[in-house]
Amino acid sequence: MPIGHRRVRPVLRALVAAAVAVGALLGAPPVSAGVSQVRLRLPLKPRLPLRGNEKLALAPFILVTEAEKARDKRLQNVDLQGEFHRFLKKQVDKKTKLEVIETPPEVRLPTQNLSELARATEFWRAVGASTGADIIVSGSLEFRIEDRSGYKTEEYVSPINGQTYYRQVYVEQTGFLFDIVFLVFDGHSGEKLLQDEFKDFRQTGGRRADELQGLFENLFSLENQILNLFVAREREADRYLFTD
Amino acid sequence: MRRTATAITFLFVVTGCTSYTHTEKANSQIAFGSEVAKQGLWREAQFRFEQAIAKDPTNARAHNNLAVALEATGEFARALEEYKKALQLGPNDNYIRRNYARFAEFYTSYTRTTGKAAGGP
Repeated sequence: MPIGHRRVRPVLRALVAAAVAVGALLGAPPVSAGVSQVRLRLPLKPRLPLRGNEKLALAPFILVTEAEKARDKRLQNVDLQGEFHRFLKKQVDKKTKLEVIETPPEVRLPTQNLSELARATEFWRAVGASTGADIIVSGSLEFRIEDRSGYKTEEYVSPINGQTYYRQVYVEQTGFLFDIVFLVFDGHSGEKLLQDEFKDFRQTGGRRADELQGLFENLFSLENQILNLFVAREREADRYLFTD
Repeated sequence: MRRTATAITFLFVVTGCTSYTHTEKANSQIAFGSEVAKQGLWREAQFRFEQAIAKDPTNARAHNNLAVALEATGEFARALEEYKKALQLGPNDNYIRRNYARFAEFYTSYTRTTGKAAGGP
């Protein structure tokens, strides 16, 4: 064994020396592709340039799916206007310094057409004067419950012969679609300050998934975007960083 | 003859080592910067990446890392410049391209015109 060592060593030395020489002659270190991913928290500026302590009036929203209530029993279980107002008030109260005022119940929208509503300057000025609000929020709400059940192809390994087959399986699923168009008006001039639209779609297992639960899943997923209209928010983003 | 050969070899090796040291210093700054960045010390990381660029201004990786550090500290306009430089120096690097695309998406929404001020003219 020691004899073998003695024989190998000079060869190894020569190889190492050659490698060092080649490395030195090339004049560059070996390139390695060291990359790691980092998560940043990026600020999102508020969409509306507010001081932060304004009075915000929550006006009624146009309910796009109101006509479908007669046909869809599940929609009848959801007070969309009430639930959305309650959600928005709670979030704005909790996460901003804006003062939220509910518009009096006698305030009725002058039209059910969104474009006309956006142009109803006189109406919004009157709402602003009666409530003392600096900004007024309105728009349209759409909430749909869709039966997404159907056949899906599934991989199946036979326990008898171990072979893979494909089979059709009936999967029961419910989809919840929520679409909101925000209109924000100046309470003093009645002019439209901003119009923005947010959409969310959630799918859950089971045909009889709870509609209110679906609505709140939609709302909570849009929470950050909705609040970003009024206050600065943060969002997470991944970036690549070279490590050498 | 032997002395001349030794002198030439020495010169060759020294030249090689000089360029190696130059790049190596930039790389060590990048390595250290990325380590502190992972701990959330973005100001220190930014300084290290700037040092790396000072040593090797054509290092696309250093420009990319500096851009990420600037993004993390909220200096978005400078981050944009650094991403562009990184992309110029390493146009085929997929990581730089992906970073730049993601940043561009964020920066566009960040600088998007917001609504008029309430009570404003």
